[in-house]
Amino acid sequence: MDYSKQIQDIAAKLFAEGKIDVFVGYRMNGFDDNQVPVVINDPKEVPALVFTEKSVFNLSNYLKADHTRNKRVGLVVKGCDSRSLNLLLTESQVKRDNLYIIGIACEGVVDEKGQKMQNCIECIVPDAVVYDEMLGSPRGKKDYIVNADIAGLAVKGLVERREYFEEIFDNCIRCNACRHSCPLCYCAKCCIDQETATIYNGSNTASSAFHALMTWSLHLAGRCVDCRNCEKACPSHLPRIFCINRTRR
Amino acid sequence: MARVGVFVCFCGANIADFVDVPTVVEEAKKIREVKFAVDYKYMCSDPGQQMIRDAIVQYRLTSIVVAACSPRMHEKTFRKALSDAGMNPYLLEVANIREHSSWVHQKDKKAATDKAGDLVRMAVAKSIANEQLHEISVPVTKRALVIGGGIAGIQAALDIADARIPVTLVERSPSIGGRMAQLDETFPTLDCSQCILTPKMVDVASHPFIELIPYSEVIELDGYVGNYKAKIRKKASYVNFKSCTGCGACWQKCPVKVPNEYNMGIDTRKAIYTPFPQAVPNKPVIDAKHCTMLLKGKCGICAKFCEKGAIDFKMTDEVIEREIGAVVVATGYDLWDATPYEEYGVGRYKDIINSLEFERMVSANGPTGGLPVRPSDGKVPKTVVFIKCVGSRDKAKGIEFCSKICCMYTAKHAILLHHKVHDSRAYIFYMDIRAAGKGYEEFVNRAQVETGAVYLRGRVSKIYQKGEKLMVRGEDGQLGQEVEVEADLVVLATAIIPDKENPALARLLGISYDKYGYLSEAHPKLRPVETAKAGIFLAGCTQAPKDIPETVAQASACAAKVCGLFAGDTIKKDPMVSTVNKDFCSGCQNCVKVCPYQAIVTEDIPLGHGAKEMRTVAKINEGVCQGCGSCVAICRSMAINLAGFTDPQIINEIVAI
Repeated sequence: MDYSKQIQDIAAKLFAEGKIDVFVGYRMNGFDDNQVPVVINDPKEVPALVFTEKSVFNLSNYLKADHTRNKRVGLVVKGCDSRSLNLLLTESQVKRDNLYIIGIACEGVVDEKGQKMQNCIECIVPDAVVYDEMLGSPRGKKDYIVNADIAGLAVKGLVERREYFEEIFDNCIRCNACRHSCPLCYCAKCCIDQETATIYNGSNTASSAFHALMTWSLHLAGRCVDCRNCEKACPSHLPRIFCINRTRR
Repeated sequence: MARVGVFVCFCGANIADFVDVPTVVEEAKKIREVKFAVDYKYMCSDPGQQMIRDAIVQYRLTSIVVAACSPRMHEKTFRKALSDAGMNPYLLEVANIREHSSWVHQKDKKAATDKAGDLVRMAVAKSIANEQLHEISVPVTKRALVIGGGIAGIQAALDIADARIPVTLVERSPSIGGRMAQLDETFPTLDCSQCILTPKMVDVASHPFIELIPYSEVIELDGYVGNYKAKIRKKASYVNFKSCTGCGACWQKCPVKVPNEYNMGIDTRKAIYTPFPQAVPNKPVIDAKHCTMLLKGKCGICAKFCEKGAIDFKMTDEVIEREIGAVVVATGYDLWDATPYEEYGVGRYKDIINSLEFERMVSANGPTGGLPVRPSDGKVPKTVVFIKCVGSRDKAKGIEFCSKICCMYTAKHAILLHHKVHDSRAYIFYMDIRAAGKGYEEFVNRAQVETGAVYLRGRVSKIYQKGEKLMVRGEDGQLGQEVEVEADLVVLATAIIPDKENPALARLLGISYDKYGYLSEAHPKLRPVETAKAGIFLAGCTQAPKDIPETVAQASACAAKVCGLFAGDTIKKDPMVSTVNKDFCSGCQNCVKVCPYQAIVTEDIPLGHGAKEMRTVAKINEGVCQGCGSCVAICRSMAINLAGFTDPQIINEIVAI
């Protein structure tokens, strides 16, 4: 899966025709074979764009930032990214007219060790659901695979489940990287940060982390698209994706 | 620091029998913020309220908790007590220890007492976070919309307009008048329906404060009490009313014949027509479903004979918008279709008619010139059988309710029959005679004595044809034997049902209706003309079966309500409405989607202080907001707060138990 050339061509064409102000894509990080997201304003930077199975991050996250707000944006989306982009559209966060979307018929991406991501193995809709142009041949809908950990959690009792979550949240350092990396966390001021929300009380205690993360997962209930941007961003490597997936169904 | 007063009510024995009230008081006293707690037999009584007023002054209380019945019952009473003592009335909190504790836990006094204590603790905790709130004033558009131009709509419109308030009267058919215009004479005084109605219809047309929009329908109603916006679709009449003189040349020459709705289909009208000679406005309309010019593009005879050139086949529907403050719904009734009564041969025998058809026949301006005739052969009937309760009070085939007016109009029909055909005899099969009303019982007696009408108490089991006659077999319950009457004509007093478009109209207006389609009043006894939606009122048979005096009385009551609503320049409204904190609003617009009252819109605000870029946030119209809290629950960024139920108040409540 290497669409670098096609994406470079499309981006150059869009800049040349004046259809976009900025382009959101991936480039090499410069010291190993991993990639980082890049927001480019200048057509000269187009040759740096790449797209391979190492293009893991969800670029729709960058649509909530100031440097793309109210601008005409071109961007690359995989299946999961397009689903979160779709939610941003329905929740009135971005205007469809402002976007030029390059959809990818995604074959799944790999982590730093070169292993296929778990969410890609379980992915039901690998093709982009919203796009102006599709790269690759669409693969259609796949069968639903039950995540073994979630299935195990589902049969646990309420107390056990709470203990399970408390154990995970014990390692949380309340850095909020998950929140920043989540494309669907776009609130002007997060409820967790509000002065009146005393139960979250800002400080890093087990109770406040529990409330904050549980609130977060409930606010994503039915919305989480399983892109696992949060998992990639977490410095404590919390497997917190479970709690979100749990509430997704 | 908050200083809370707690007042626990015995409610006679209602609470005290199942909740240990003194214990609740002692529990309340243990709370740090409670500076005064007391019980009393009836807190809502004047001495009880005086205790509250005195305690507010004496103990310098900052909020009040009354533990008593449901706030629906006496919240307003206690709020008034607070404001009488110079305190903001919204600093009151009611703990419902009657419906929520004593009544539901009658078997366990200890549990009921504990729960009452919890409810009081929650109310105290909430009241600490209570804020001073002030009633909202909403401006009022002083124009009323009356839907339906029958006697109810006419009376309501005239009464409102006489108070110098502009009225827009919308009528679906080409003329106002409604069902009453179809009646011959009216019980119990037998005065001519047209003679008493027509002057009122003319008054409507000439009244400077009434705007009459005939041949039109309300298609949209937005807004809230005092500030509704109505869209009215004026159906194309294909006749320019401004130049038409109503001379009648057009309908005399029109070649298309259509069953005449006004005469219940007994005779025909033309495709261009006025419903009846006294119609208001007396201008014809073209029935687009039957006009050959409109259907096939051939004919146009009416246009040729119209001297004024008033006919315009290119006319289209027009949408009119009006800003109004209140709505009176008066859509009237329809007759129930008696087809399920197969044993009567409804539809099979021509000489079985319904009471409105009979009414048209005996009417002087009716299709037969006032003489009842048999539809089959045109002969004048000598023996007429009237069957009451056809469809009414019949769970199996018809409708459960009593149609109320049939007893009276059947007695009237017997009298009218006697007046028109002197040697005739009426047989009336009835279940009960319900003649409650001024002069009603006397009227039924008159029918029995003066005309010799035979009242037979019992149901009809079968009607069958025998030669020219219809044999009506039934039971005479008083003699306990079967009777058979050889009838020339059978008249069915079929049940009256609400207009079939009532449910659609109710949804359009945002009001509720019952299983039959009658529009629901706010309270069956104490608020019979209001609906649950403020500013929308009901008159006449759209709410329940009614006779003319009752309909007129209800219409006038609607007018009084509308005038009361418009008496000031503003309407006062409870301040329990939502507000958006724009800084926190993420603009996801989920609240817009969940709001059942369409009270939330969006607005664009600058991205930051002095920024040129804009972002979209939610905005709540406090006039429309009913304080349901749906938006508060859906808001992820906690940007919406409901006054009186703020997050600190709710969290305090939760923490207290």
